[in-house]
Amino acid sequence: MEAKLTFLLLAPLFSAAAIVLFFRSGRRLPAFISVASAGLCLAAAVSAMVSGAGLYKSSFELFKLDGFSFNTGLLFDAAAANMLFVVCFVGFLIHVFSVGYTDGEESRGRFFAGMSFFMFSMTGLVLSSNLFMMFAFWELVGFSSYALIAQYSSTEAAKAASKKAFIVNRVGDFGFLLGIIFCWSAFGTTDFSELAKIVEADPAKASTGMGMLLLCGFLGKSAQFPLQVWLPDAMAGPTPVSALIHAATMVAAGVFMMVRLCSFGFLTPAVLDAVLILCSLMAFCAGLWALGQTDIKKILAYSTLAHLGLMGAGVALGYDLAMYHLTTHAFFKATLFLAAGSIIHACAHEQDIYKMGGLFRRMPATSVAALVAAFSIIAVPYFSGYYSKEAIVLASYARSASGALLDKVSFWLVFAAAALTPIYMFRLFFNVFCGTPRSESAEKARESSLWMTLPLAVLAAYSAVGAWSYAYDLEWLGGKWDFLMPAAATKFVGGLLKLHSPSPDSAEAARFVAGAALVCTFAGVGIAYVLYGRNRGYDPVRKRLPLVYGILEKHGWFDCVYGWYVAKVQQRVAVFLATFADLLFIEMLCVRGSGVVCAVVGHGVKKLHACSCNSQVKWLVFGAILLFALVFAS
Amino acid sequence: MEDFYKTVLNLGVYAPLGCALAIACLWPFVSARAAKALSLAASAVLAAAGIALWCAMPADGSFAFSSDLTLAGVALPQFALNGVSAPIFALAGIVGFAAVWQAACSEIRNAKLYFMLLSVMLGGLAGAFASVNLLWMYAFHEFALVPTFIAMNIWGGAGRRMAAMQMAVYLTLGALVSLAGIIALYAQSNAGGFGLQDIALAAAANPLSAGWQSAVLSMLLFGLGTLVSLFPLYSWAPRAYASAPTAFAMLHAGVLKKFGLYVLIQAAYPLLAAGAREWAWAIAVLALFNVVFIGFVTMAQRDLKMMVAYSSVAHMGICFLGLASMSVLGAGGTVLMMFGHGASVALMLMLSTIIVNRTGEWEMSKMGGLYRRAPVLGAFFVAGSFASVGLPGFANFWGELCVLTSLWNFSPAVCAAAATGIIISAVYALRAVANVFMGEPSAEIAGRFGSIADMTLREKIPAAILVAALLAVGFFPKTVTTGLDSCLSNVAAYAQTK
Repeated sequence: MEAKLTFLLLAPLFSAAAIVLFFRSGRRLPAFISVASAGLCLAAAVSAMVSGAGLYKSSFELFKLDGFSFNTGLLFDAAAANMLFVVCFVGFLIHVFSVGYTDGEESRGRFFAGMSFFMFSMTGLVLSSNLFMMFAFWELVGFSSYALIAQYSSTEAAKAASKKAFIVNRVGDFGFLLGIIFCWSAFGTTDFSELAKIVEADPAKASTGMGMLLLCGFLGKSAQFPLQVWLPDAMAGPTPVSALIHAATMVAAGVFMMVRLCSFGFLTPAVLDAVLILCSLMAFCAGLWALGQTDIKKILAYSTLAHLGLMGAGVALGYDLAMYHLTTHAFFKATLFLAAGSIIHACAHEQDIYKMGGLFRRMPATSVAALVAAFSIIAVPYFSGYYSKEAIVLASYARSASGALLDKVSFWLVFAAAALTPIYMFRLFFNVFCGTPRSESAEKARESSLWMTLPLAVLAAYSAVGAWSYAYDLEWLGGKWDFLMPAAATKFVGGLLKLHSPSPDSAEAARFVAGAALVCTFAGVGIAYVLYGRNRGYDPVRKRLPLVYGILEKHGWFDCVYGWYVAKVQQRVAVFLATFADLLFIEMLCVRGSGVVCAVVGHGVKKLHACSCNSQVKWLVFGAILLFALVFAS
Repeated sequence: MEDFYKTVLNLGVYAPLGCALAIACLWPFVSARAAKALSLAASAVLAAAGIALWCAMPADGSFAFSSDLTLAGVALPQFALNGVSAPIFALAGIVGFAAVWQAACSEIRNAKLYFMLLSVMLGGLAGAFASVNLLWMYAFHEFALVPTFIAMNIWGGAGRRMAAMQMAVYLTLGALVSLAGIIALYAQSNAGGFGLQDIALAAAANPLSAGWQSAVLSMLLFGLGTLVSLFPLYSWAPRAYASAPTAFAMLHAGVLKKFGLYVLIQAAYPLLAAGAREWAWAIAVLALFNVVFIGFVTMAQRDLKMMVAYSSVAHMGICFLGLASMSVLGAGGTVLMMFGHGASVALMLMLSTIIVNRTGEWEMSKMGGLYRRAPVLGAFFVAGSFASVGLPGFANFWGELCVLTSLWNFSPAVCAAAATGIIISAVYALRAVANVFMGEPSAEIAGRFGSIADMTLREKIPAAILVAALLAVGFFPKTVTTGLDSCLSNVAAYAQTK
């Protein structure tokens, strides 16, 4: 097991190093090495799951200073197995897709090196056995995200977005790191299983302050209020990067971290309340904001924000819900992004949905995959998204029965977020795939190569049936290969999932809510058809209600406020300090000023030593008088 | 084997000094190329010696390879390395080799004198970190310091005279006050000599009074703090680094500046525990100014070299905070940070010289889009920037992590204030990467953009060496911490706090 997991972790690292050092300028070799390493990763992950039912834990001391020892242990438990399967499986397929997607691009070597490095850092994050190690890999996934957003480095969008993504994440990491240090200081360890023992022995030891600090890391990485601003901009990177890092895996790392901590009750109710309200608000707002975007990738990015919000709400409602939705979301959102990538690639990098249209006939395979994933994301029954999203809505409803205002508000937000999904998703679908092409590039679009359509087909299949094995308690080949059905991966290695089913007395109400959600789903598609289904080439909301559209488009003015802060506050303070405190006060007044004082005093003293007979006599007389005066005075 | 390592240690220190002496004595017969080759060879010897001794360090971290050479009946200074000095000694060798190599690749007038001074500086550095006698440490440090002033005046860039004079006044003052501190320490402990062991034994038998401890430490702190550019005595540093010839700037910012911290860790804290405790808060507050105040000042810099120079001042704050925490973890973090910062700032200074030479511009906003022309330069610059930002995988990460972790037990508020440094440093470092390498080339450089070349193989080698050093410690921090842990655990000042 140790060998498999170590191999899994190091294969992509070596791949990245080999590409950077030797095959930077190659075209085929970097792609081959990177895809091969991702494939080996997947093989190792599958083999680890087949052979190792249950929990595996190792510990390796990287260094030690006095009481502080930094361990790079591997923890392979149910949550890690689930996440690892998602990362390796989706990662491998996206690697394959990238071979087709990047066929005409410069710096292909750098792209694949970045992808491999991401696989290394992400698997490391998933397998981390303690918070410090997780933090190290947490920073590394941030770096790979930075490097890959900056792939098209000569564009202004990539220049600004890469920087923004890293710095905003650092703001979250600031709190996260303090939380980890606080934890180490309080308990003397940050090892998950040690912490679990401590908190299980005495639940009072879980501290709200510590949890709030750790929460900051989640808010940064998973782009929740108020640190969500980097994710839509991160779409400046290549589409496979958006699919892998900014939809399926890295942004879910925040949720994964919260699930880890929740699974042994490390987060206090106050922390979970904060998560619940922030995330359900995000889910609702991002769903609205998605309606004000015309860039296909930005619409999907806001949808990712919304679903990360749902996962976050899931963390608060029962962490297994979050893990469930994380898994299904990874499949359908990766499918949607890859479909978008396939379209963008076919349409000569056109991203405006109002310049597409009529692609269903031109790109049938991509369109079918997108349709399947869309059904999954809007929660059409029997598609995987249906099970996980319905579970979160129901859990949220069950909780609102307590009557607390916060729970009620969050239920309505979650419900509204679920109801908004079909509207923005089918706004995209109708504009892109139906009607007639509205630009030359859309007219010339052809179906993408097999490199791209095959991964799309596999992912679309998973978006459809990925949750069945859990939902219907199916067993694959006697349970041995259950992990191939992603949501069951956890069940397979030790049983994390025990979804909350509503208690019998509230079952009636729950059935009502589930039905209402279903009605909303189909009503949403209908609204989308009425508003956007007629292929007009413009947004009717924008035309009729420009004010409303403007509000949606501005996505809450967060960027304006932060931009104002950076340009008008932070930079002005910096320039003020540099000019007045550093240059004028310290450098000029104190340092050079003391030089001037020395020079003036020196000059004066030099005057006293002027060698004229006259002055010497004067000083002699003055000295004599002074001496006499002193003698007489005493 | 022990004898072999003793010889290696002596060789490491005396090779650069001998090289300088040879160039000086054989002045008319040595060509500029020979001087280059000689000093490159000498720095290679030092680097090899440093790495070999670092690898051969015993795990208990105590002083090893101790050797007393006598030359014609005169005792030469005694050298030995322990867990603290071995990595820094190796750093001197690694950065020294990179700096000499960098100089050997560039056009320099009066090259003989340049390489002679560089060798003197290198020998002084090696001696300062290898000595076990406070007075010799001090003397070697001065030996390394003086060539910087001379080199700045001869080969420096814009504003060199003012910068050199300011640096000379500051550092001489700092050195003088620390000398007074060293003498006071010697005199008050009634030791038989200036040897570290002598003073330690004497101080153990007859501890200094609390008043004297505090007074001596304050002198050392003022003097050594000036050498390390502790707030508010830093203003010599940015201008000096921006205008000093690159190889000297690399050696000074990378290695020589660490001398102040080194003496504090190696001598002052072990001997003056009570004084250190008394001054801990003062150090912490001043160091926070380095992190936050200088961090903001760095953000406002528009000149690439000034940005790098100011960032180096800001990072010294983290080093001092490690000391202020009064713990093995903090002091160990300081040493890790010294190593990481030494290699990364040398790399950044070297790369910014290359960038400035290629573009002909100093201001970052007048560059832009360089990645397209020079991807390898870009990759090294990104590596250097992320090392200084404290990305895991580079030595700096361990330094920052250990220092911040140790600070929580000192004071959570100080820890939180210091941790803002991870945001501030990301802001200025990534801004520099974005402005220099990404986007479209600015109007100023658009005309000659097509002729900007990537790094040549000869330029890549020193950069690769520095990155390799950063990664080696980043991936295998034990190479530094094993000796450090056992070495620092014996220090009384760190005993009470964990």
